[in-house]
Amino acid sequence: MNPVKHVFDSQRHHFTKGGRFEKFYFVFENIESVFFAPAAVTSTGPHVRDSLDVKRFMFLVIAALLPHYAFGIFNVGYQSNLASGLPLDFWAMVWVGLKAVVPMVVVTYAVGYVWEALFATVRKHEISEGLFVTCALFPLTLPPTQPLWQVALGISFGIVIGKEIFGGTGRNFLNPALTGRAFLYFAYPAQTSGEAVWTLLAAGGTAAVDAFSGATPLAVAQATDSGSVVQAWADAGYSLAKLFFGLYPDAIGASCTFLCIVGALFLITVGVADYRIICGDILGFLAAATLLNLFASPTSSPYLGLNPFYHLMVGGAAFGIAYMTTDPVSAPAMPGARWVYGFMIGMLTVLIRVFNPAFPEGIGIVILFMNCFAPLLDEIQLTARLKKRIPNVQ
Amino acid sequence: MIPPLHHIKGYNLKLSGKPLPVLEDLPLPRQVAAVASRLRFVKPRLAVNVGDRVKVGSLLFADKRRPEVQFRSPGGGTVSAVNFGPRRRLQEVVVTLDVEEAYEEFPRVSDADLESIGRERLIELVIGGGLWPLIRELPFRDAARPETAPPAIFVYLDNLEPFHPLPRVYLDGRWDLLAFGLRVLDRLAGKPAVVTVCRENAEGLESLNGVVGQTVVGNYPAHDPGVLLYRTKTSSDQNHSWSVEGQDVLLIAELLQTGRFPTGRVVTLGGPAATQPRHLRTRLGAPLTALVAGRIAAGNVRQVAGGVFTGTPAPQDSHLGLFEKALVVLPEGNAPGDFLAWVLPGARTPSYSRTFLSSFRGRGEHPMDCNRHGGLRACIQCNFCPQVCPVDILPQLTYKAIRAGEVEEALAHGLLDCVECGLCSLVCPSKIDLLQALRDAREKFYEEMS
Repeated sequence: MNPVKHVFDSQRHHFTKGGRFEKFYFVFENIESVFFAPAAVTSTGPHVRDSLDVKRFMFLVIAALLPHYAFGIFNVGYQSNLASGLPLDFWAMVWVGLKAVVPMVVVTYAVGYVWEALFATVRKHEISEGLFVTCALFPLTLPPTQPLWQVALGISFGIVIGKEIFGGTGRNFLNPALTGRAFLYFAYPAQTSGEAVWTLLAAGGTAAVDAFSGATPLAVAQATDSGSVVQAWADAGYSLAKLFFGLYPDAIGASCTFLCIVGALFLITVGVADYRIICGDILGFLAAATLLNLFASPTSSPYLGLNPFYHLMVGGAAFGIAYMTTDPVSAPAMPGARWVYGFMIGMLTVLIRVFNPAFPEGIGIVILFMNCFAPLLDEIQLTARLKKRIPNVQ
Repeated sequence: MIPPLHHIKGYNLKLSGKPLPVLEDLPLPRQVAAVASRLRFVKPRLAVNVGDRVKVGSLLFADKRRPEVQFRSPGGGTVSAVNFGPRRRLQEVVVTLDVEEAYEEFPRVSDADLESIGRERLIELVIGGGLWPLIRELPFRDAARPETAPPAIFVYLDNLEPFHPLPRVYLDGRWDLLAFGLRVLDRLAGKPAVVTVCRENAEGLESLNGVVGQTVVGNYPAHDPGVLLYRTKTSSDQNHSWSVEGQDVLLIAELLQTGRFPTGRVVTLGGPAATQPRHLRTRLGAPLTALVAGRIAAGNVRQVAGGVFTGTPAPQDSHLGLFEKALVVLPEGNAPGDFLAWVLPGARTPSYSRTFLSSFRGRGEHPMDCNRHGGLRACIQCNFCPQVCPVDILPQLTYKAIRAGEVEEALAHGLLDCVECGLCSLVCPSKIDLLQALRDAREKFYEEMS
């Protein structure tokens, strides 16, 4: 017999009716179902059911995010050693990254799980695996310098206000990870914006070495007064390859466009992410940036003239497109509405980036904003669609 | 002939245990029964008692709501048991067969009579012979209302639901009977019945030429008259079309031609737990034990009367009902899953989705069981159910409308177009019982209307 199975079988009686921890049955069930699928069978037709469950559906998103963690751990250490003027030894950088990222992930999961378990116990339903995706996404959007208590507070807000008060995964209308991220942005701007927060300095360090620019590419782009944005990036040390592979100070794992493309293709292939949203996003970005190109003149901000594809390459755009906009719960349900939803996110993100000096990156806020419009977009398409049906009402 | 109707949606379950196209004659069972427990809408009123002598075709019970819905004895002998379920609902009336069975004699209709006989008289004969329930009215599929002429009658010769008898097997040598039955239906409707068959089941069947009005191509449930109606209707007047299954047309034809209640039936035994999946020729209302004896695997097996999607679990001592032409046997599967199965690639795990490696390995049949494969969760809008729905309902939104008590909204979504195929429940990763929710809402609406 599987030793893990033995542990569950020997402890089960504590959690079933009459047991000491009867109230925590849902926690027990959740942990057990991680290892062994439940034995429940169908009672009515169809007598067979598909092998896919929400656990695997969500796990595939986490699988797509794992490379971002590997990248994030490396990049945090890399930027830290660059800024601190330390030697760029690979394992030393990984160690620095691990020390920064692992505690944030542990805190996120621990706090998120406690909230979810609390609500599941009170509501007597099983723990939904959407939580694990939220907790995997959340740290990747944070600066590596975020204090752990703020991490705990942010994920609490995201889980409780973004999701649980509406009934849990599936009934939320906002993306919970972004809700938590936005909460931190507005509640603790000192720790979530500016130039300093994106780079972890070595212990004792107070300022980066002179050669190091802590500004994110988006901040550089926004600050460019003359010349071209690409030139400004080059001056700041951001070659196009660096931008594409995300080797610049930014949120922990969100900057690597390359991995986002891989992840998006993976999620589309397995059918977890809808290509309509992703294509809509990209079209929206390109359309808005192209439109701005038309208005670009020698006297206007050089940001207007930025090649539309560069908008997709820098900042959180690719990460947001691949993992945040494709959250099926907070996106619209109808296929057409999903195109519009994506398109609007792309458009608004570019507009906020270029015209709103308060937000170097706007995609997080824009996704939350469009989450609010998702039901309306659905309603419009649904009404049009239902009109075409030949009525069947007695 | 009209060009084939193509269905893009639907889904073919890759289930193992498909019955071979061979027909085995079963020996005469000791007893047969008229099953009431799995009849929808019918409120049975018993017409016999234990110990009564009955002939083939004697009235056993009728519907309290509608006298024309009668259920007659599929065998001659003695009523040996009348089984009741909870709240004294009639389950089945069991008749132990005599060696020499006696028959109720009904009026015969010859080929020539059929030209001159009136529609009212024809309806009377079918009702009197106890076969009126076989003619069903969409969208609820209760027995048709004889007082109204239908906008159309759909006759579907095959059923893609795993696993139903193939037309090439049950029609073998009975083409004349089918032709006669179709003429009867033509008289009932006042216009030719629309006969449909799926292209894969029509290949090589020369005799179908001139009979079939519409070939359909597509996945389950492309055969379904409700799907055909949805795809072809031009106005809502057609919603109340009638439908009859191919084998049931043969029963009606036999009743009128011979003047005796027909008792023969071709059924299938299939499914992963069937060791000898095949077609079986047996009696109407045959005991399940006679069908499965020596032909299914030992162990914890569920017997489903009807198909995998729409059938009902039947106790082992039960019998096949009037409408049930298939017995599917499935392993119960009530054991915990394999260790950490949800992270494995799943090269042999069957799925509608593309989340397992099996989806990229081409076709193949899988021995599925009745395990639910996951815990109940809230809808996550994966959009699988609208992808498979054959009548373009958005099942997840309709389900939410039903849960919110918005019946009007659910109706606008096409609740009554639903053919209850069960694909939405099959593919749902949250394991929501969409079919049950939609079916309950439909039944409730029907009962409130009538």
